[in-house]
Amino acid sequence: MAIDMTQFYQVFFEESAEHLAAMETLLLELDIENPDSEQLNAIFRAAHSIKGSAGTFGFNDLAATTHILENLLDRIRKQELALRADMVDAFLECGDRLREMLEGHQGRGAVDPAAVEDICARLRQLSSGDAPIAAVQPAVPLAIEPQPVAATQPALDDEVAIRPPLPDNGKRVYDIQFVPTEVSAKGEGVANLLDELRSMGHLEIVLHPDGNDSAGFWELRLITDVAQDVFSDQIDFISDNGAWRINEDTSVAVDGTTAFGFFDDSPGVPDNVRGYGFFKNVDEAAAPVEEDDSYGFFEPLPVPATMPEPAAMAEEGDGYGFFEPLPVATSAVEPAPVLMAEEGDGFGFFAPLPPVESAVIVVEPPVAAAPIAPVAEPPPPVAIKPALKEVSAARTAKQTTAAATAAGDSSIRVSIEKVDQLINLVGELVITQAMLLQTATQMQGTAPERLTVGLAQLERNTRDLQESVMSIRMMQISFVFSRFPRVVRDLSGKLGKQVELKTSGETTELDKSLIERITDPLTHLIRNSLDHGIELPETRVAAGKSPVGTITLKAYHQGGNIVIEVGDDGAGLPRQKILDKAREKGLPVSDQMTDQEVFHLIFEAGFSTAEQVTDVSGRGVGMDVVRRNIQAMGGRVEIDSMLGVGTRITVRLPLTLAILDGMSVAVGDQTYILPLSYVIESLQPEPGDIKTLSNQGRVIQVRGEYLPVLVLPELFGIKSRWRHFTQGIMIVIDADGMKAALCVDALIGQHQVVIKSLEANYRRVVGVSGATIMGDGHVALILDVSAIAGMARSIMQKAG
Amino acid sequence: MEAKSHGSAATGDEDLVSSEYLTFTLGSEEYAIDILKVQEIRGYEQPTLIANAPPFIKGVINLRGIIVPIVDLRIKFQLGTIEYTPFTVVIILNVAGRVIGVVVDSVSDVISLNSNQIRQAPDFSGSFDTKYILGLATVEARMMIVTDIERLMTSADMELIDSASE
Repeated sequence: MAIDMTQFYQVFFEESAEHLAAMETLLLELDIENPDSEQLNAIFRAAHSIKGSAGTFGFNDLAATTHILENLLDRIRKQELALRADMVDAFLECGDRLREMLEGHQGRGAVDPAAVEDICARLRQLSSGDAPIAAVQPAVPLAIEPQPVAATQPALDDEVAIRPPLPDNGKRVYDIQFVPTEVSAKGEGVANLLDELRSMGHLEIVLHPDGNDSAGFWELRLITDVAQDVFSDQIDFISDNGAWRINEDTSVAVDGTTAFGFFDDSPGVPDNVRGYGFFKNVDEAAAPVEEDDSYGFFEPLPVPATMPEPAAMAEEGDGYGFFEPLPVATSAVEPAPVLMAEEGDGFGFFAPLPPVESAVIVVEPPVAAAPIAPVAEPPPPVAIKPALKEVSAARTAKQTTAAATAAGDSSIRVSIEKVDQLINLVGELVITQAMLLQTATQMQGTAPERLTVGLAQLERNTRDLQESVMSIRMMQISFVFSRFPRVVRDLSGKLGKQVELKTSGETTELDKSLIERITDPLTHLIRNSLDHGIELPETRVAAGKSPVGTITLKAYHQGGNIVIEVGDDGAGLPRQKILDKAREKGLPVSDQMTDQEVFHLIFEAGFSTAEQVTDVSGRGVGMDVVRRNIQAMGGRVEIDSMLGVGTRITVRLPLTLAILDGMSVAVGDQTYILPLSYVIESLQPEPGDIKTLSNQGRVIQVRGEYLPVLVLPELFGIKSRWRHFTQGIMIVIDADGMKAALCVDALIGQHQVVIKSLEANYRRVVGVSGATIMGDGHVALILDVSAIAGMARSIMQKAG
Repeated sequence: MEAKSHGSAATGDEDLVSSEYLTFTLGSEEYAIDILKVQEIRGYEQPTLIANAPPFIKGVINLRGIIVPIVDLRIKFQLGTIEYTPFTVVIILNVAGRVIGVVVDSVSDVISLNSNQIRQAPDFSGSFDTKYILGLATVEARMMIVTDIERLMTSADMELIDSASE
């Protein structure tokens, strides 16, 4: 019976899209100079997963393209090829093509076969352009490995130059690392293994534990012509629960010399070793050094007690190095120990290996004392900076990986409709609960105690339930932020600008519907910053700034709001130019306008000060759309700018679209909800406080400020319960930087209300942004404060 | 014109296929609407006013968590006595993907009509535009105005929908 695969297609599309997105993020994070092998592995895995499932579902074009991509990635991952910037470009482009193919399969858009063929050819060429290290060009590929040390420290060149040639005699070199179990360490297990391995080829014991028994960390090197799986079982058998690893070292000479690794520690070169610090593999000469009180902490070593002390931090007695398992050989050239060598008590923190590699130990014995006597020579100061940078980079990588692992922990895919339905139902429950409570309160003393107690408990439970249900919809804003590195990268390349994007607060959570709706406005703001804000490198240098502009993207909570800031250190907004342009457009402006008001003009439709319309921006559409979108979400936009220093656009959004903190006010027999975030204060006016302007506009003086007065009963045509509005209450509101006094009959209370759409079954009502259901089951309308403030503005304009 | 084209379409193969209609009264007039558009019938409850809405839009009510606008057809068509008693009924309609409540004098019956029984209405002018009338039907000497309720509710006249009202 054939299984209908189509039912799984949607899952495949979603998953592949996610893998592509993850791949892109990782590619952009990748430090080309010093790629983190864990990131490379993650990229490879993403490509591999796409290939696998594409093959399963019969999307052969996808599978074929990913296969080529995967090939190249695999070689980079195994360090057969060095990562280069053009490769990253090719990967990104390949990702784009794959996405197009995916969309093509989903019936959206078409794929350009020529472009696909083009990228495949590029990948193939990249993949074949550099020959494998072991075979054709033994030394050169090593020289071009862009390891940071290779790049910064000329000493390496010497080493590479003296690297012995690598004859290809069919033998392979394996680095074997393991920690034996207690039992096998005490018994003959290790000895047997060593004999066994010796029988297969040439065995070198690179590192063995101190003491009489063989407990501890072993590192062997086996040159043999048998395959790895012949002996891996034995190693697995005697090793502590997975604490073993075999690496085939293809970059290594097999002619019996001891040279291998990136940092060649062959005894012939000790004199000009300046890239001291971290040697990938140390031969016997460098093996356990019993020296002073230097320690190397290698975590997580399964048998820490019997830890060998392979590390000697140069001469300094109190040099500590915390080397958590390093990813693979790449990191072995981390120059961090250089720092320690000089400073004595410097610390180097290395990110632990993410759990994927589990307990396998990859610790390389660091600095060996004997051959590296010249370490005492103080390193060039430049070396220290990279070291620090590496450390922080390693930390960042650690955090990223941790976050990624946490996210991927365990989750289920649920359609958003189901969640929304759940939220609606919980909303109903809250209303019903409130109704019950109200009824019980009306019974006053007559309600049985058990009922009131039960109702109080119900109230708590429903509140908790509501909170947790709402949190289902919450997503981290990194979901949006993650797309911007690509936007910035592509666009800055196109515009010939150098831009660095800094993000912070990616873990800030907000409602999914907001996440979806904020993406476009934010993209627009960033494009705008790139195009208009950041200047060309020459201009920046002329202005005394760094040629590299910075765009900062920040998200954080403030009160009940999410604040997202898009800042740049570019040219700033030219106040005069905006004013001139506004006059040209016939907008009502004056020189007395505050900077805020002037800057807000850029949100007017059709407003652009760009001299030239580019395909990026400058048409004047967009900023008004940005503001409209943000306002539609119940948010606000603010601009701060300083000429020559930069611009910062602040977007304030409510945490969620579904719930609102509101103040309920009474007007006649109606109840309205005023979003609390707009309310500044309330006051009881005296009749004499209110003055009129040309007998139309009314103003009230509140603490020296004249505020326009809006009488809600009049605006809404409702009969007030008072004869004169001054008997009511004034609420001072602040909407979009404009203050006004809103006159209502009475304040009722403060509620958290579930927002319901009025437009679902009715239409938009001016001055009303939505509706909610009150405890008694009645509908209350939520006031649209921005629109009401707009009414105030037009009244004032009429009057003034 | 509209009614005619509809009528001719209906006089095809489905001549004898009858559909069910809900009838209600507005003043002395009796209307019939497609029962498949009716979601439920409930009593009138005081709706929440909508500011600056036309008088026949009474406001919105909470129908099990959904905000539903209430239209009083008696006001719209100036028929019947406008009073709200415990017996005033609201027909909750499900038209064009929206839920709308309609206040009528009373709901009378559910009847079956086949297309032969629906006659074309003569053109006349009035507040109730003939374009919303599918035809007239006579059952037991009562004349029913068979109404295209979906068309009526989504029309610009009703001011219930954004696109239509602008």
